[in-house]
Amino acid sequence: MGEKGRGWNLGLAGLLTPVTIWLGLFFLIPLLLILAYSFGTSGVYGGITLGFNPGNYLKVFDPLYLQIIGRTFFIAALTTLLCLALGYPLAYFIVFKGYRRRNLLILLVMVPFWTSLLIRAYSWVVILSGNGIANKFLQFIGVTDEPLTLIFTPEAVLMGMVYSYLPFMILPLYASLEKFDTRLKEAAKDLGASRWQTFWRVTFPLSMPGVIAGSILVFIPSAGEFVIPQLLGGSRTVMTGTLIQTQFGAARDWAFGSALSVMLAVLLLAAILFYVRRVGTDKLEGM
Amino acid sequence: MKERPTAQKPREGDQDSRREVAVALTGITKRFGEFAVVDDLNLEIWEGEFFSLLGPSGCGKTTTLRMIAGFENPTEGVISVAGEPVRGVPPYRRPVNTVFQSYAIFPHLNVFDNVAFGLRRARVPKDEIQRRVVEACEMVQLTGFEKRRSAQLSGGQQQRVALARALINRPKVLLLDEPLGALDLKLRKELQLELRNLQHEVGITFVYVTHDQEEALTMSDRIAVMNEGKVQQIADPSTLYELPKNHFVANFIGQINLFSGELESVDGGRVTLRSGEGIKIEALVRNGDTPEIGEQVQAAVRPEKIRFGETGENVCSVGVRQIVYLGVSTQYITEFADGTRLVLYQQNAHDSVGPEVGEQVNVSWDANHCLILGG
Ligand SMILES: Nc1ncnc2c1ncn2[C@@H]1O[C@H](COP(=O)(O)OP(=O)(O)OP(=O)(O)O)[C@@H](O)[C@H]1O
Ligand SMILES: [Mg+2]
Repeated sequence: MGEKGRGWNLGLAGLLTPVTIWLGLFFLIPLLLILAYSFGTSGVYGGITLGFNPGNYLKVFDPLYLQIIGRTFFIAALTTLLCLALGYPLAYFIVFKGYRRRNLLILLVMVPFWTSLLIRAYSWVVILSGNGIANKFLQFIGVTDEPLTLIFTPEAVLMGMVYSYLPFMILPLYASLEKFDTRLKEAAKDLGASRWQTFWRVTFPLSMPGVIAGSILVFIPSAGEFVIPQLLGGSRTVMTGTLIQTQFGAARDWAFGSALSVMLAVLLLAAILFYVRRVGTDKLEGM
Repeated sequence: MKERPTAQKPREGDQDSRREVAVALTGITKRFGEFAVVDDLNLEIWEGEFFSLLGPSGCGKTTTLRMIAGFENPTEGVISVAGEPVRGVPPYRRPVNTVFQSYAIFPHLNVFDNVAFGLRRARVPKDEIQRRVVEACEMVQLTGFEKRRSAQLSGGQQQRVALARALINRPKVLLLDEPLGALDLKLRKELQLELRNLQHEVGITFVYVTHDQEEALTMSDRIAVMNEGKVQQIADPSTLYELPKNHFVANFIGQINLFSGELESVDGGRVTLRSGEGIKIEALVRNGDTPEIGEQVQAAVRPEKIRFGETGENVCSVGVRQIVYLGVSTQYITEFADGTRLVLYQQNAHDSVGPEVGEQVNVSWDANHCLILGG
């Protein structure tokens, strides 16, 4: 194994060089820049002076910003949970009841990707705004006389995020359920497990890698999302992503924006590590 | 010692009224679309019996087993387990357990949790589960493997886990679908004996599916030979071997020489036929069969019942074409004048000297060992 393994490594190294350079240039260097900026000092008219200034980080602990970060994580977690609750039954249905139409159905799940997120988010604005389709419909069926405030609420943000990220949950769930050996379901039933028990004792635990992958794929972009909260949340439902964007844009405080970015990244990493430890590792090993 | 069955005293159909029926299939037909995979199957499997379903690939064995387990519903007919009709009863409420051909060990659970799965679903108290799992692992020689996952087990060990996982629930009937199919020959032979002993020990009814005739003969109390969805014959191994009902059974179980011909005389259970090879053959008729003079029939004789010399009722002259040394015995492939083959075996006893290739020799066999096959 040893010598052969070494030969392999050389070949592998060759294959890995381009991706290493690519990631180094476009991921690692900007990341280091952000890290450097986060300790810098922003000029009054923009621009940045490098140095060691922990003030940007201290500013993050301002209750105003902490509340935004807290809200971000709450909405991201709720988005993930809702995506799982909505996406699991669909993935299950496609895999076990889709038969020959499986591939078509999973393709349909990806249809929203064919339009840009921005356009889709704007269409939500059209639907939810004061005299939008949703309100007109509600008035028509007599639920309300006055237009309701549907847009610029946390619920609107949640709705938009779940809609946008649902496919990221469904695809990994589909992938892991597709590998599931249905004979295991028969074995469970044969051993006295009802359909419900079969699901919770066998099917669900064995789809855990999909649940974990899907959760991470939904949670990370949700926590960093800035388009949807901006369009559907307005100034009342600000999320960290929007806040960061403002720092790099209108506020011209790149140093604080960088510090917020680094904080968000660190917190996300911690959250995911915690999640995988709690639900994940054991089940991941079992595969 | 088991008495060798004869045509006059057949064992099959023997109604042993003292025994309870564990599984009864009555008029079972299963169609997938238009195609009848199982066709009017009637079986009674007795309690405590090692019963095998034997037949070539695709003959409907697995389908039959799946109907008993409750994974398929028969298109027609009634299945009863322990006297109760089970139509509409889901698999998890049937008093049967299955050892799947693929084993279907839960990959996310270790051996202990796999074996305990059924007891946990039945809400057996914790300490009893602990005790019974240890016991079950001991029974199938898996002690010390409790913490392993299926990926860390060999094929034979997985097979044992599947067995322990099913047996621990003390089912009325254990269904086994080619449980040794994936193992190498040596391990198979070992596990065949182990399984047989285990079945004696626990006294549970085993319904065993296999396409390996030798396996079925070694292990079973009774065997149902199936072909194309139909039962050909149900009998104990020696009856099946000595008194096959028809051409299919005779050919499927062991090797056999067949003679076609016209019946010349019928005298009770004894008949004479004039075969195409130009010889007169005396043979037996199975109980209940009533062939008539002039009928075209087939007579069958096992290779090991034929010997060199003229000491039996049926004597004929053949040319030796090929000799195959098989260790315990030697196989002689011979031919009649018209080219029809006749195969015979001779035990390799110390002083036996057989003929050489090319020699013309007389061979003979007893009428008792020559059977007229049904349709
Ligand atoms: N769900 C199904 N739909 C359609 N045809 C089926 C189905 N299940 C089995 N069959 C067909 O029924 C026939 C019998 O299948 P079965 O699995 O019972 O055979 P078997 O005797 O167990 O064969 P083997 O020894 O190869 O396992 C086969 O021709 C198979 O193609
Ligand atoms: Mg089969």
